[in-house]
Amino acid sequence: MGIITVLWEKWVEFRRDFYKITVAAMIGPLMYLIIFGMGIQTTSHGEPYLHFLIPGIVAMATMTGSFSAIAQNMSVQRLYEKALDQIMVSPTPLWQFILGQIIGGSLRGMYAGCVILFLTFPIRTDLVFTGLSLLIMFLNGMVFSTIALVLSFLAKSYTDAPRFTSYIITPMSFLCNTFFSTDQMPSGFRDVIALLPLSQTSAMIRAIANREAPGLFGFAILAAYLAVFGIISVVFIYRKKNL
Amino acid sequence: MIELRDLTKKYGGFTAVDHLDLTIRTGEFFGLLGPNGAGKTTTISMMSTVLLPTEGEIHIDGCRLDRKASAQKRKLSVITQEYSMRQDMNMEEVMEYQGRLYRIPRKTIREKTSELLEFAGLAEYRKRTVRHLSGGMKRKLMICRALLIEPEILLLDEPTAGMDALSRRQMWNLLRRVNQENMTIVLTTHYIDEAQALCDRVALINKGRLQKLDTPESLIRELGAFAVDETGEDGLVSKYFHNREEAIGYLAAAGNQASLRATTLEDVFVVCAGRKL
Repeated sequence: MGIITVLWEKWVEFRRDFYKITVAAMIGPLMYLIIFGMGIQTTSHGEPYLHFLIPGIVAMATMTGSFSAIAQNMSVQRLYEKALDQIMVSPTPLWQFILGQIIGGSLRGMYAGCVILFLTFPIRTDLVFTGLSLLIMFLNGMVFSTIALVLSFLAKSYTDAPRFTSYIITPMSFLCNTFFSTDQMPSGFRDVIALLPLSQTSAMIRAIANREAPGLFGFAILAAYLAVFGIISVVFIYRKKNL
Repeated sequence: MIELRDLTKKYGGFTAVDHLDLTIRTGEFFGLLGPNGAGKTTTISMMSTVLLPTEGEIHIDGCRLDRKASAQKRKLSVITQEYSMRQDMNMEEVMEYQGRLYRIPRKTIREKTSELLEFAGLAEYRKRTVRHLSGGMKRKLMICRALLIEPEILLLDEPTAGMDALSRRQMWNLLRRVNQENMTIVLTTHYIDEAQALCDRVALINKGRLQKLDTPESLIRELGAFAVDETGEDGLVSKYFHNREEAIGYLAAAGNQASLRATTLEDVFVVCAGRKL
């Protein structure tokens, strides 16, 4: 029940800011597609670069959509509006609030990813996006919503949200299998990058797009991040002395 | 009944609330008074579980209150000092969100929302976003939101801050009415006249510690029911007397620069805070 309440709140926000959310979800990825996919026309592994880029951009849009939806919203609610107080005092079980935030954030991420799929639909590629692609996008969104929740509980000021984006989201966007394959990276660095959730999401969505089976390792990595940050966020909301 | 047992809150080396013991009876209108930084808001925040105590416990009707205690939290509603609401929601959405958090059926939410907004004179602004409301309207909306869930215990942290005199009086009447329906009310306020007019008992706290606890009448009687204000070289000085004759005698000796009046709870507060600060 608490989950539905949080999703209702997210829906109210989405409905109100529909155009802002949609435009924000489009601009960055669209620029990358135009510049790297159409402007700098090149090939990757003998294929048009767009074929490599689109799955990565979809994964990245899912990440940024989910993360920004939760990090900004929760930081403002907790530190500026103090609206989190209303949740804390209510009888709604706090784990349900957390789960609602994670699902709500993930749906926002999926929306951002689907906007990119819609925009790239007219481009003639052989790429395939299936229900499994959507499931991976959803899982990726859950991971980044959960990370955003933990960071927003740690934030000391609501201006910290953009900093988290600079520290976490921007480096991942560029390094994690979005714009180029990590195969060429030095081995130690490559192994670290491979453990990051966006690397696995990009790889899995790209594998499906190319009619290959996604590796189970990717699911395991995403599930591990979700479990670790999910537990931390639940512990924070129940145990953190000064929320 | 609310019991605060040995309640303590520390921020690093600073103790905001220091081993506070209080029992607030069911149906009581209880005031928590103290100067700025006395620990009133921290105490209310612990009672609403927004803050967790460093030491001590809070019990509601014998059961320990913590963030997992949904049954105890169901009895509580809080009006915080700040406008703790989603600023981008409109009034109806704020009310619906509150109702949903307390699992109130949607039909009931709609009916009670109309009733409460009408009562508070906010009905015509029901579609207005919180961000675009005046301070007084936000305060009234917070009260409507708190009453929507028909709580057994209402925690009020400076509920009339920013309200004009008329709105404050309307609020007093409303609070008296809900208190008469056996709702326990815990109030912190900077307006001491408000506490004197409303509260059955008041606790004076300073630096997180309980200084005095009694009815306003008893506290006034203890200080002296008659006050003589005297303007001297040190500014306005008040002296307190237990009987009228003594006070009149002092007044006669003091001359034109003095006046006699009834002692108020504010005098008790000033004397208590003045001694301790």
